Amino acid sequence: MEGSTSRSTSFHGFLHRMRHPSSIDLVRAIKSFIVSFSFYQPKPENDGKRVQDFFLSMEVAIRNHPLWETATEEDIDCAMEGLEKYIMTKLFSRTFTTSLEDSKIDQEISEKISLLQTFLKPEHLDIQPVLHNEASWLLAEKELQKMNAFKAPQEKLSSIMNCCRVINNLLLNAAMSEHVPAGADDFLPVLIYVTIKANPPNLHSNLKFIKLYRRQTKLISEAEYYFTNLVSSKTFITDLNAKSLSMDETKFEECMQAAKLAKKVTNELHSTSQMKQQEKNESNFSNKMHNKLDARVFHVLQQGSNYPYMEAKSKDLAMEDVEILLHQYKDLVVKYTILCKAINCLSVSEKEPLLLQLKMQGVDTHTNDQTNSHRDISQ
Amino acid sequence: MGCGYSLPDRDSRQLGRPNSENGGGQDAKNLRVKLVLLGDSGVGKSCIVLRFVRGQFDPTSKVTVGASFLSQTIALQDSTTVKFEIWDTAGQERYAALAPLYYRGAAVAVIVYDITSPESFSKAQYWVKELQKHGSPDIVMALVGNKADLHEKREVAVQDGMDYAEKNGMFFIETSAKTADNINELFEEIAKRLPRPVIT
Ligand SMILES: Nc1nc2c(ncn2[C@@H]2O[C@H](COP(=O)(O)OP(=O)(O)O)[C@@H](O)[C@H]2O)c(=O)[nH]1
Ligand SMILES: [Mg+2]
Repeated sequence: MEGSTSRSTSFHGFLHRMRHPSSIDLVRAIKSFIVSFSFYQPKPENDGKRVQDFFLSMEVAIRNHPLWETATEEDIDCAMEGLEKYIMTKLFSRTFTTSLEDSKIDQEISEKISLLQTFLKPEHLDIQPVLHNEASWLLAEKELQKMNAFKAPQEKLSSIMNCCRVINNLLLNAAMSEHVPAGADDFLPVLIYVTIKANPPNLHSNLKFIKLYRRQTKLISEAEYYFTNLVSSKTFITDLNAKSLSMDETKFEECMQAAKLAKKVTNELHSTSQMKQQEKNESNFSNKMHNKLDARVFHVLQQGSNYPYMEAKSKDLAMEDVEILLHQYKDLVVKYTILCKAINCLSVSEKEPLLLQLKMQGVDTHTNDQTNSHRDISQ
Repeated sequence: MGCGYSLPDRDSRQLGRPNSENGGGQDAKNLRVKLVLLGDSGVGKSCIVLRFVRGQFDPTSKVTVGASFLSQTIALQDSTTVKFEIWDTAGQERYAALAPLYYRGAAVAVIVYDITSPESFSKAQYWVKELQKHGSPDIVMALVGNKADLHEKREVAVQDGMDYAEKNGMFFIETSAKTADNINELFEEIAKRLPRPVIT
């Protein structure tokens, strides 16, 4: 794999040659190819084939071109890398995540990962303790997260390669100290774990884009192997269920449930506080809010909930407030119920300190800790 | 435990190892071959590959790439070369469903079991069936009984491996990554069985 410096010089070299007067025919071919794309609706499989065919025909043209007459294989390759980067940068918005379906898949994976992140531990994937290395993992995650920021398929692919290289170094160091050969048995679980920690944006779309638009002669051998491993990691995460991990199945379901509820609560709180903020700006509730607050109410307000009626007295209310109040009441009940369920999904050891804290804040939650009846409610 | 260190020296017969990295070109004289390794965890897949690629059983030697993808080129007597690109797969049960991603497009599948473990032999048969159903029809399959050095612990008879392989039209060999026994033979035999592109 080339480093980024040689890649960028090869790209500049490409642009430089393309500015040469004798390249006019090549430039014309490239431009008309790019323009021709805007005539059709995006259709990934066709588009991939068209681009790959174009790469091949351009390679022939470049090989036969006077400017490359004395060129080595490496020079030709540089020109082709430059061409791929140029074309795919120009066509990026036309070729990356073109369907609603793709963005839906991206979103689903990302959401699932964000749930898994709340409880998944390396042990659940049987990652050996010698491979526990936060620093290496973090480095690998960073590399993987870069993938989405690049436009050229070669750059996206090299983010994957860099990520895998970091993991391989970790494996090799462990192999040397433990005298065991490191293979796919160790590699894949770490890659999956790193993928979950990284939650790389648009994972599905990036993989699809690389597969379709990376020059076919470059997505082979080692690059293809590591690419396949990330596809494999994505597939594992997508299909992951209670049976996929070294973890009690009920515990897994509970954790997923709790993560979902916690997420829902955060989302709701977020959207309500935005909504309330807006309402507050729009209407003049302010005169209803001057009353003195009791300590408990004040505390709730300080916690960031944004409920303007907390300070209101009944005589301040007008008819039009009823609708808003009712809406808020329903909203609160929904959230409160979700919150109670979420707390009930926690294990006793996780729940106790939380309840204690809530009690100290004067919040009364009706969680069923004595009985196990919460299981029926939370179904 | 490591792969062990009291080893006889590497191949007596010297194999040519032209290391032309530009494996992209597929011509009649220089084949590039995707080989996928399948089998239970612990049967010795990694050790076999290390033995073949680096001529050693010792995984502590300094290398620059991972051990899950390795390549090695061998020269045959007819002065052709075969570059094996060896794809290791995770053997744990929970990754079994991902195997098709790895064996898709493979020209060779090497299915390994451990002669001291009947379970690993059953697992090998599972892989054979799966490849017969879902692998590419002209894939070359080899069945490998590894750890042949552990005679006293043998639980799978040579004949059983041989019979199974014969019934399924596969090449069969018993190897020891520890003593290097039959490791090169395994890959040479595979190379001979590869369909050759027609020279035009
Ligand atoms: N005695 C013996 N041990 C072996 C042989 N091959 C591998 N091993 C041991 O078996 C264990 C697993 O080997 P490994 O190559 O990691 O198996 P993999 O999981 O299939 O890749 C290691 O401890 C090796 O030392 C062999 O031919 N003979
Ligand atoms: Mg292994």
